[in-house]
Amino acid sequence: MSRRFLVLSAFICVHLRFPLLPAQDAPAIIEETQRRSRAPSRRNDGVLQVIDARGRITEKRWQVHQLGSYGNSKTILRFTAPPEVKGVALLVVNHPDRSSDQWMWTPAIARERRIAIQDRATRFFGTDFTFEDLEERDVGQFDWKLLGEGAVDGAPCWRLEGRPKEKKVSQYTSTLLWIRKDNYVGVRYENYKKDQLVRRLNLSDIERIQGIWTPRRWEMSDLARNSRTILRTENLQYNVPLKDADFTVQALRREP
Amino acid sequence: MILLRLISWPYTRKHLLRSLLTAAGIMLGVAVFVGMHTANQSVLFAFHRTVNRIAGSTELQVAATEIGFPEEVLEIVQAAPEVRVAVPVIEAVADSGRQGQGNLLILGVDMTGDRSLRDYDFESADESIVDDPLVFLAQPDSIIVTGEFAGRNGLRLNSRLPLLTMEGEKQFTVRGIMRSGGLTSAFGGNLAIMDIYAAQKVFGRGRMFDRIDLAVRDGVSLEQCQAALRKLLGPGYQVETPASRGQQFESILRVYAFAIRINSLFALFIGMFIIYNSFAIAVTERRPEIGILRALGATRGQIRTLFLGESAILGLLGSAAGLALGNLIARGIAGQIAGMLDAMYGLAERAQEVATDPRLAAAALAVGVVTSMIAALIPARNAARVDPVRALQKGKYQVLSAGENRARRLAALALGVVSASLLLWNRNAWMFYGGYILLVASAVLLTPALAVWLSRCLRPVLRRLLPVEGALAADSLIQAPRRTSATVAALMLSLAMVVGLGGVARASVGSLHEWIDTHLNPDLFVTAAENLNDRSFRFPADMAGELQRVTGIAEIQMVRTARVPFRRTPVLIVSTDIQVLERRVRARVIAGDETEMHRLAALGEGLIVSENLASLHNLRLGESVEIAAPAGLLRLPIVGVTRDYSDQQGAILMDRAVYVRYWKDPTVNVFRVYLEPGASPEQVKRMILERFAGHRRLFVLSNLELRAYVMRIADQWFALSYVQIAVALLIAVLGIVNTLTVSITDRRRELGVLQAVGGLRRQIRGTVWMEALAIGLLGLILGLALGAVNLLYVLEVGRHEGGLILDYQYPYAMALLLLPAILGAALLAALAPAESAVRGSLVEALEYE
Repeated sequence: MSRRFLVLSAFICVHLRFPLLPAQDAPAIIEETQRRSRAPSRRNDGVLQVIDARGRITEKRWQVHQLGSYGNSKTILRFTAPPEVKGVALLVVNHPDRSSDQWMWTPAIARERRIAIQDRATRFFGTDFTFEDLEERDVGQFDWKLLGEGAVDGAPCWRLEGRPKEKKVSQYTSTLLWIRKDNYVGVRYENYKKDQLVRRLNLSDIERIQGIWTPRRWEMSDLARNSRTILRTENLQYNVPLKDADFTVQALRREP
Repeated sequence: MILLRLISWPYTRKHLLRSLLTAAGIMLGVAVFVGMHTANQSVLFAFHRTVNRIAGSTELQVAATEIGFPEEVLEIVQAAPEVRVAVPVIEAVADSGRQGQGNLLILGVDMTGDRSLRDYDFESADESIVDDPLVFLAQPDSIIVTGEFAGRNGLRLNSRLPLLTMEGEKQFTVRGIMRSGGLTSAFGGNLAIMDIYAAQKVFGRGRMFDRIDLAVRDGVSLEQCQAALRKLLGPGYQVETPASRGQQFESILRVYAFAIRINSLFALFIGMFIIYNSFAIAVTERRPEIGILRALGATRGQIRTLFLGESAILGLLGSAAGLALGNLIARGIAGQIAGMLDAMYGLAERAQEVATDPRLAAAALAVGVVTSMIAALIPARNAARVDPVRALQKGKYQVLSAGENRARRLAALALGVVSASLLLWNRNAWMFYGGYILLVASAVLLTPALAVWLSRCLRPVLRRLLPVEGALAADSLIQAPRRTSATVAALMLSLAMVVGLGGVARASVGSLHEWIDTHLNPDLFVTAAENLNDRSFRFPADMAGELQRVTGIAEIQMVRTARVPFRRTPVLIVSTDIQVLERRVRARVIAGDETEMHRLAALGEGLIVSENLASLHNLRLGESVEIAAPAGLLRLPIVGVTRDYSDQQGAILMDRAVYVRYWKDPTVNVFRVYLEPGASPEQVKRMILERFAGHRRLFVLSNLELRAYVMRIADQWFALSYVQIAVALLIAVLGIVNTLTVSITDRRRELGVLQAVGGLRRQIRGTVWMEALAIGLLGLILGLALGAVNLLYVLEVGRHEGGLILDYQYPYAMALLLLPAILGAALLAALAPAESAVRGSLVEALEYE
């Protein structure tokens, strides 16, 4: 069983099946959540909207291909709009035991570059997500506690708290998450720095696609900046025929 | 204090002009000292500030000299557990293309991580740029400029900014304007930010970075991180704090700073003589006054204190004026120093603020006051020794300035012997400079005796020119040698310095010409930057093939020059195809066999070093030297030493293959182009420009243009000697005016009697003029003679401090030019005193007869 848990990914959806075994404690709930969302591959289009404090909206569109999941996944993300970023592509190779490797392809200078995000609190290309928010976290590096139960949009949920065992593991002091009891989909994440809530993520528009319950809409709010980012997936398909050779730096250079 | 107010002030007020001239002596010394130091410090400060501002919160920087290193090194550094953040940087200086705006420092950074170290505070920007580095990275024409630069050039968001890149002129788009403060004040605001990968392309860097800026992980000390990275990367990489980047700049400025110190010292020394002279006048003129004071009960100590107090006040006033003038001088020459550094080393740094350091100002004031008091010591002592009875006896003058003593001559001789001994047993810098100082002291002590002897020799000549006036003038000099000796000594020292610097300039020009003839003999030079020392832009090596296809070109030599640290000094590496070099260049070999050295160097089995490098680091033929390079430690023997003026810090010539292997850098700075017989350089130049027009930034210099460029740099360096010549002329005027005033005061009775027995005003004037000319001539003769010895020392200083090895060549042309200049200045200085002599009251002059 993988020890990694995806807090959030634009590329991962949560697998839904009614619980075979009702989870009794926090680690078990997390493990079950991971198991249900697993898929060998997928592709989708996406729209990313950043709404700043003044209500201005910037929008980008992309196409995502992913192979594997939970710590061993490889993803290629190509921007398709607006024109100023069209063609820019990002390759993310996740590893089970260390931070992901990332490369970016910039067609205008015909060059790939390695992106080494060392400060994981850095915002992901102007969105309200940080790079850490998009990482597949190692479950084992957190102490999980079941705080009780609650409801999100009327759906009964388990309320869990994750605290990093070591300070350097996360920019956050703690994360509260709500996992729906009916489909094991994480629907709300609240990230705290000390006792201050700094970011909140809501997942909604949950649909069952090829047997996997998948949230179609993510909304991350940065409470300090008073801005939010909405991510919508479109045309999502699981189990598409993809191979390792499609996820290399050479493949990154090949525009579709 | 009361004495100063009652006695000194009325006298000063009466002789205001002379007092001002005296203060001018100190002012000049302090001004040269303050001006040159301030200019130097301002350029250095501007450099440090630029480094610090650009560094942001960078704690350590990884570099492999100015050459850069492959991109892969970044991953190694980022993976080090001691490192929290590491970001790559390319720094390049490009012509802003805007009239009067100079160069633009372009910082190529990776925006995805750079904000962890640098704060980009935008006053206006495309929102997507501010928030989203993706847009900035996706569009390689993106450039961010500072508010200052935008304001000066009327740039706004989305304005187009043309820059001459390695691919020809390209239009960049201003996508962000940074708010003033912090980073933006670096390089005087002429700063722009680009994406690092776009910068690689623009500046022809291939897949190399210039340096890595990094911050250390919490809980890890700088020293721990430094040690870990040094171990990880090997000796070819420097892991230093941003502040230590200034060390290279400082070491380059060291030679210049040394020349400044010597000049300042001379200026102060000469100022001292002027003060001495002025106080000698004052004591002479105020003898009756001193006699009265003594008769009224003033002690010798009080008289001495009175004169020393006057000198202190004068020194203070002169120093204060010198501070102000020095600041003006600094403003004038800071730009010149920056220009010289830019031309010689490709280090462009403009000093935006030229302000004197308060500590330097305090030191200058103290030095000015102390120098003034030291200079007044002997006149003050003489004043204290005035016999009140003799001073008050009408018609009896106690002539203090007459006479010459044997003890001084013996002391001079002894100092001369010690100086020569120190020079002979020259074991270290202390012995060398000690010998130098003693030689100067010996010459100064000997000046009165030599002045008398020379005056005697001159007497018949002067008599022949003007029988009465000439004889009187010569007699005046012979009878009171100490009266004139201060001025003669000041002139002598000043001219000796001029001869020293002039000799260096002459030898340098001669040697430079010889070097240019032998080394810089290609017909054309194809360079990536207008300034040959600017290594911001580089060519890819494969450009040689394309260049070779231009009709008329017989042979091309690829040259890559780069500054690397060698034994803690930045020296120049010159890498080229040694076989081609051997065929084309006949260097002056100082050590080693020419054929053998080229054979071994071409095989990559040896290095050829410049004579100045060998001298500066005591390198011997056959000695193995080590140079740390990114690919490891290059260890090769010295197979030859040649005379090579490529760099003031020294040059190491190696085969290109060795360089590429050790520095992993295949780029080229300059293509040396040899033409086929009969090919027209102008035509080939035009063809090269046409062939690469629009897609390659390049400059083609003809041999003549390159010669002019090298000589222009040399001229900038030797501009210092022109300052020295100006100081010498000023000294001549000031000193001679003072001396003649003393002379006329001393000889008032004699001149009065002369007029009374029928001497014409014309003759009196003529006497004063002849005396002035004679003083000028004495100073010239002794100065040119001492200059001959001084030149030896200056050449030695140049070798010791700057590794500048030059042949001894006395600057005869300069000496010939000095003759009319100094004599003209002497005559000019004599005009006012001569008028004063003929217009003085005859009754007063003969009052006691």
